[in-house]
Amino acid sequence: MDQFEMLKAWAETNVETTMFYFLATVAIPLAYGVILDKTIIRSGFILIGVFGSICGFFLLLQAQFLALAQLMIYAVGITLVIVIALMLTNPRMEKSQLSNATPANQLGAFMVAVGLFMTIYLSVRPENWTLSSEPLDTNNVEVLGRALTTDYSLPFEFASVLLLAALIGSVMLAKAEKPSKPGEDDYEYTVVEDGPIAGDPRQDREPAVSKR
Amino acid sequence: MRNGAEILKLGTLTLVWWCIIFGAVWAACYIVGILIPMALTSYESDAARMTAETCRALTPILSVLVFIPINAMFMVLFERRGLAIFTVRLGPNRVGPDGYLQTAADAVKLLFKEDITPRGADAFMFTLAPIVFFAPSIFGAMPLLAAVTNYHELFQIANLPTGIFFILAASSVPVVGIVMGGWASNNKYSLVGGLRSAAQAISYEIPLVLSLVTVCLMAGTLDVVQIAKQQSGGILNWNIFGGGALRGLDQAISLKFSSSAPALQELSKSSFEQVLKSVYLEPTAQALGLGAGQEGLAGIIAAFAVVLLIGSIWIAYGLYMTGACAEINRIPFDLPEAESELVSGYNTEYSGIKFAIFFLAEFTNLFIVASIAAVMFFGGGDCPVPAWLGTALGGPQIASVINQALTPLIEIKLVDPPTLFATIWVILKVYSIVFFAVLIRGTLPRFRIDQLMDFGWKRLIPLSLIVFVLVVYAREFVNVHVGT
Repeated sequence: MDQFEMLKAWAETNVETTMFYFLATVAIPLAYGVILDKTIIRSGFILIGVFGSICGFFLLLQAQFLALAQLMIYAVGITLVIVIALMLTNPRMEKSQLSNATPANQLGAFMVAVGLFMTIYLSVRPENWTLSSEPLDTNNVEVLGRALTTDYSLPFEFASVLLLAALIGSVMLAKAEKPSKPGEDDYEYTVVEDGPIAGDPRQDREPAVSKR
Repeated sequence: MRNGAEILKLGTLTLVWWCIIFGAVWAACYIVGILIPMALTSYESDAARMTAETCRALTPILSVLVFIPINAMFMVLFERRGLAIFTVRLGPNRVGPDGYLQTAADAVKLLFKEDITPRGADAFMFTLAPIVFFAPSIFGAMPLLAAVTNYHELFQIANLPTGIFFILAASSVPVVGIVMGGWASNNKYSLVGGLRSAAQAISYEIPLVLSLVTVCLMAGTLDVVQIAKQQSGGILNWNIFGGGALRGLDQAISLKFSSSAPALQELSKSSFEQVLKSVYLEPTAQALGLGAGQEGLAGIIAAFAVVLLIGSIWIAYGLYMTGACAEINRIPFDLPEAESELVSGYNTEYSGIKFAIFFLAEFTNLFIVASIAAVMFFGGGDCPVPAWLGTALGGPQIASVINQALTPLIEIKLVDPPTLFATIWVILKVYSIVFFAVLIRGTLPRFRIDQLMDFGWKRLIPLSLIVFVLVVYAREFVNVHVGT
């Protein structure tokens, strides 16, 4: 066995593991960055990095379709989140006040975090999964598509019902406007009236009267 | 014909620059992919073998890296000269012979400019934004390389089973770069440009993806190499003409008018009616379960389905071009960088090399969009002349003459004839679509933002869904891509 073959054999057994640890060392600090960064918009961009490295994990597991869907949905979805964050907060890098959490709040958050971790761990721990040594179908997009439209069509439809509910809910939230009294809010904002948009040609068509 | 001379000059310029671009790419691919590995085979050490393998594997990415900067230079010049013709001006014609080197000079100027980071900007994000904008256009184009080079062995490594989905996923990332750059610049105009770009890209991605999904549905695969292969065999097999829905019609018509055509050997015994029957009636009758006596009904349904399918695909192509123009921020959808409203939008604060990267990415994206259209709708590297007509016109003889002339080059593997011809057709198709985009830029004014949103959500998305459903049903009654 010459050097070239040895290198090839080493690569076949070890590259996946090495890549996994590499991606993990990228993903975990980025995930901390999302929580710890004081600027909300920066956190949003870091979150895209986290999802990018998760996309890498899917590629390692040979789930190409899932990896690409992850990239496509989250890259665009998180951008939307950032845009909304920009609209709802002061976009000029103002440090958000995170320090007003009381010890009771912190304890509650810690309890929730531990509970969530335990739940997720118990549901995904490896004992419950049957391992298979079958080779993956090279065209696993087709397998996925068939499964989603035949065996698992009901869960698939339910997922879309969930999305519909979210959509209707957001419309309802956006519609339910209470008439706010002046002086009630802490900060000022300008209300844009419904009407012709600035620069609308209809508005500009005023009779040109020259002053003499 | 006052513009005749200018059009001729533009044509010459295009040819000269094509020679420069593709000569450079060709040379790079040949040296790294074939010459170095061939030279290394004489050494029998492991290091030599490893280097040879690495060189072969790196050829696709190297060809893209050589191609992108030179191509961007050409496309800027092409666009400026083209727009000059449309608006009856002269365009850049001072630097170098007849302005050929104008954009090369511009590129050098951009590289030597000072790289400024504005005060109050988020320096890290400000630097990261051009990279996030540009990198996806490099790796997103990789599967296309395998499709446009007729699956040459050096480029097989670039192909993926999820081809077109990979390209679409990669093309959805650059909007993050625009928003990032707009926000990090600490400039109101940049921010508004970035926000507009996010809204626009998300709205227009839906019709873009749905139109491509329609084509994938017809092809039955996501693999771009497969899609290009299915469409081989002349213009009537291309997806834009229903992917073989009109197959055999050209032969039948020529048979009708000259029954003694020598090239129609395979059809010499059948008549016009028989071709129609075998191509159209039988699949429809089979799909509907109609008997022998109901041929009239089957014929009507077949004709209707063919017209519906081809019409739907043409609409899908229109939707694709509209969505693509919006995705890459070209006029009439260049709201993110509207000069007259937002100074220059998201790239107002950028200068020097970072601005150059934004600029490069924009023109690369235009090229990629055109190549996707060429592969998905216009048959990739396929010759538009149908094979039987090519044979009748002496195609094989011409090909063999060319092959003989190129024999010394083929022997040293400098030329691979199938790849060469495929590439020439791809170049012609892609730059025609680029020219079409330039024509649109010279013709249409910019949308207003509310018009843009209305047009996207109320017109294009419903239309793309309708087209999708129509193709699902029409495909059942028509033989699409049967030969492959």
